[in-house]
Formats: sequence, C-alpha cells, structure tokens
Amino acid sequence: MADYSEGSAAANGLVNCTECGLVAGQQLTVCPRCNARLRQRYAYSLQMTLALLITALLLFIPANLLPMMVTEKLSQVDHTTILGGIVLLWEEGSEPIAVVVFVASVVVPVLKFIILFYLCFCAMFDSTLSEKSRVNLYRLTEFIGRWSMVDIFVVALLVALIQLDHLLNVQPGNGTIAFAGVVILTMFAAHAFDPRILWDKPLTRDEKTSARE
Amino acid sequence: MVKTQYVACDHCDLLLDAPVLHEGDCALCPRCGHKISRLRRQLHAQLSAFGMTALVLLVMSNAFSFMMFNLNGNISEITLWQSALNLYFEQYKALSLIVFIFIVVIPALVVCLILFFLLMIKLDYRPKPLANVLRLIFGLLPWAMAEVFFVGVLVSLVKLVTIAQMDLGWSFWSYALFCVCYAKVLSLLDRYQLWSWLEQGHRYG
Repeated sequence: MADYSEGSAAANGLVNCTECGLVAGQQLTVCPRCNARLRQRYAYSLQMTLALLITALLLFIPANLLPMMVTEKLSQVDHTTILGGIVLLWEEGSEPIAVVVFVASVVVPVLKFIILFYLCFCAMFDSTLSEKSRVNLYRLTEFIGRWSMVDIFVVALLVALIQLDHLLNVQPGNGTIAFAGVVILTMFAAHAFDPRILWDKPLTRDEKTSARE
Repeated sequence: MVKTQYVACDHCDLLLDAPVLHEGDCALCPRCGHKISRLRRQLHAQLSAFGMTALVLLVMSNAFSFMMFNLNGNISEITLWQSALNLYFEQYKALSLIVFIFIVVIPALVVCLILFFLLMIKLDYRPKPLANVLRLIFGLLPWAMAEVFFVGVLVSLVKLVTIAQMDLGWSFWSYALFCVCYAKVLSLLDRYQLWSWLEQGHRYG
C-alpha cells in the first residue's frame, strides 16, 4: 500500500464517499447517505485504466485504417477514412471545419492516450511534474473526452440526410464502430482513474522489496 | 460514524472543514484548486426554471423537422429521431443506438431526474431511494452529449451547403436553445449542495 498524502481524509482514518462526498469513518463499508460501497481509492484504479487504455489503443488502429464513410456518387464509390476526410475538407476550401474535425478526432484522442499513460506512469513511479499540474492534466482529459464524438455524429447526420439512391448516397463505414469504441473506452478509462492516487506517495524500491518479503 | 462537519476534496483527498457559504460564494480546494461547492443565488428556483425550459425545448425538438436537404429538387427531410434511427435501418444498429442514447435519451433522462429530485425536495418528501436518483444523475452526466452533437450538426451543415441547398427546421432552433438551457443546468448543478438537500430538515437555498 502506498502512503496516503499528508492531511488527506485517508491519512486521518476517514473515507470520502466517491458517490456523494460524505466523509465517513474508515470502519464503515457502505455509505450511510447513499448506500455506495466505501473505498479509500477506486478499486484497481491503475489496472482498470491501463486495461481500458490498451484496448482503446488497439481499436484506434482500425478506427484510422477503415473507412468512416462510403460515398456513392453516380455509381462511383468513394471510401474516406478520418484523415482522408480532413484532407478532403481542407482541399475543398473549408479550412476552419477541417481544423475542428482534426482537433476533435485526431488531437483529442491522441492527447488523451498520452496524458492517461503518463498519469499511470506517474502513479507508479515518481516524476518531476508537480502534483497540481498532474491533476490539471487529468481534468483536461475528463473535459475533452466527449468532444471526439463529433465525427460519429457528423457521419450519422450525413447518412440520415443523403439517401438519393444512385445519384448520391452515403453509408457508414466499419471505422465508425471502431472509433466510437475508442471514444467510449477512453472515457471509461478516464473515469476509472482515481486522481487522488497522484497525491499518495509511491513506495520506494527498498520499501517494495521489504513489503514483498 | 459520519462527519458532516468535514468534506474531502475529490481530486486530492485533502480533509477540509465543511464550507459555510453565502449565496454567490464558491469554495475551492486550497491544495489542488478543485471546486468543492458553489452556492448560487436561489439555486433551487433557477435549476427548476432552466430544467423545465430545457425539457419543453427537447420535446419540441422531437416534434418538428430538423433539417432539409435539397439537391436540384431531390429533397430529403429528417427529424432529430431520424438522424439517429436512419442508421438503424442501414444495418448499423449498434451505432444508431449509441447516437440515439447519447443525444436524446440520456439528456432527457438527466433533465427529468433532476426535475423529479427538485420536486421531491420541494415537497419535503425524502424516501430512501431518492439517494439512488441523485447517484444516477451524477453517473449519467458525462454521457449526455447534446452540445457535442450540436457541433457535429454545424460541421455537417458547413460540409453540405457547398453541394446542396440546406433549410433548417423548427427542431434545429429548439435543439440549439435546449443546448443553451442544458449547459446552464449543468453549470448550476452542485454535488455538495444537492446531497446536503437530501439530509432531513435541510433548508434549501
């Protein structure tokens, strides 16, 4: 077990209910106000976060390689991937929209992967960044996570609107399911991560070996 | 053993004395800057007003047409429901359900549950399961993606105006206003305050 940070509820023998924020004694197992299970920290926070992140990272490959949209225009079929769609938008002259889509569906997921992997690394080993900036990074991932869904919604709308048989019609590609999976899994990963472990001191190598023995 | 005179920060677990707030005050964690609580002026009344407005607007945005697409006389028109459910008939059932749940079901559920909770508090009736309602509200919050969908709508509009004539229906405007009201509801929701209302005999602001 790691040492709880100085002045924290955990160090004072109290538990902060993760559901309702009631501060209760350590000996209680169920929160008296909301019936949630009381725990000092989320159960298996790091393992869950890492497992979900790695799954999402694997799904990120087909999400980028498979087509997001299949456009049929006068019997000519076009497959567009995420990046292909952005390049197309840029070439058509709608640069601001290309930037919006690029940020939402490329920058945001990549940033989330980097930050969450880094935070898991921080929680296991020590790092130079202060606790406060790490918690700010965590808040950033929580805030930006949902915005990657923009691309999925755009595909859904275009598919719903453009159905003119062989003249012009749009079908969703298999990439959409993979991409929706990436967004949902990274959101779950961000929720599984407990920012409070960033403040707890990780054990030094000597303590680890002595704990094992 | 319950210590209501204490609170602990959700982001760094710092143990703090429970904040004593006047209307308009905001309590921040001194160590990590996380917002502990913010007591808005007439929180209950404001939440009910914006919640009800949002609900009416959401019902309205399901009643009319959302967008019309006109390519040289080939017209297609969709409602908010169809924007998600048309995918269902194109053998993309999982995707259509995800979209439908994120843009209509969860926002509607969140608003209804908040209004239900406010009504129960107003009636001073606090049965035990009301705690579960509150837990459900805060659990569902991150999955309501009304504003993200709206950005998606704007992106696809800009994409489509270059190839066809686009007309916006009443639903579009009411959904836009719904997003504004919903954002206001979200900014008013305060976990600390709402949970403290649940305690017996607590006077709400």
